[in-house]
Amino acid sequence: MKEKDEISRRDFMKVVTLSIGGLIGLGWGIPAIAYIVGPALKSNQAQAWIRLGSTSKVELGVPTLFKVTVKRQTGWIVNEEELSVYVLTEDGRNYIAMSNVCTHLGCRVRWIAEQGKFVCPCHNGVFDKQGNVISGPPPRPLNQYQVKVENDQLLILGG
Amino acid sequence: MIAKFANWLDERVSWRQVWDAIFLRKIPKVNWFYTLGSATLFVAVNQAVTGILLTLYYVPTPDHAYDSVQYITTQLPAGWLIRGLHHWGASAMVVLVVLHMLRVIFYGAYKYPREVSWFTGVILLLVVIGFGFTGYLLPWDQKAYWATTVGTRIAGTPPIIGDTILRIMRGGEDLSAVTLARFFGTHVWVLPATLMLVLGIHLYLVIRIGISAVPTKEN
Repeated sequence: MKEKDEISRRDFMKVVTLSIGGLIGLGWGIPAIAYIVGPALKSNQAQAWIRLGSTSKVELGVPTLFKVTVKRQTGWIVNEEELSVYVLTEDGRNYIAMSNVCTHLGCRVRWIAEQGKFVCPCHNGVFDKQGNVISGPPPRPLNQYQVKVENDQLLILGG
Repeated sequence: MIAKFANWLDERVSWRQVWDAIFLRKIPKVNWFYTLGSATLFVAVNQAVTGILLTLYYVPTPDHAYDSVQYITTQLPAGWLIRGLHHWGASAMVVLVVLHMLRVIFYGAYKYPREVSWFTGVILLLVVIGFGFTGYLLPWDQKAYWATTVGTRIAGTPPIIGDTILRIMRGGEDLSAVTLARFFGTHVWVLPATLMLVLGIHLYLVIRIGISAVPTKEN
């Protein structure tokens, strides 16, 4: 009777081998998964205030284009990237800053002064001067940056 | 459920026969020195796994090699661990392979009928050293650069053919992008392919012939 309850040497070794093997497998597997998916989980760079330029450059009621270069790190490579931002103010106190990236498929929109509209050259997306969609395929208004003014300098929050 | 599937599969592919031949084969009563080959195999698997993982980020060009290695070590989760395992595993490989070889020498296990196991083992030793030599350059830091400068210079010392050997190893007169690329290609394609082939024969023979017993006074 007692014999039956006892685990055989062979089965014991089997369990021990499988357990140690399993632990070693986990020791490889878990770090491997973290290592592979790591960069994908990393959120887009810490955001920082980027200086666009002087508020005096902005004409009242007309979106004005600012271009700034920002450093962006992808993996081990640091790239300089040009950021184009349209800034609009109606009263010289409240500013909105819009990205020039079309919300449809990422082409660059341009301000056409004669028509008073933003036009995307790719699929005829048209936005008004606040960035709202007038016609065409874009699903939502142009993206806006958070803006602040310090010593007559415009700053946007971006990364 | 699992047993049922195992039986279903065994009926079709006879995997149990293979399993038994590998894991349930008869072996003589031996000591712990006889596990050095298995230990080497284990570290070799570690090298393969961590090496494959490293290639996901490593770039073998002079302008990216160092930075990509730094990125792996300092930015990626567990990157330091993966690289560390590969780095220390490389040293462990050389040590274990040599100890394994010494065991075979001291117990006379290279004799009839195991000569071919020995020959393939010698090739595997050279492959492991080749891995170490080519892998050493890949981090592309000062140590790597100068070690390979010296290493290839040593390979270039034989008379007459020396200079040709040196030029072939470096892919030109000097250490360059060409050298880095060919060391990488050798490290991740040529040597692993050779290793798999020769190791396959080596392990087949271990299983086919069986391992030698501890020699006694009489023999």
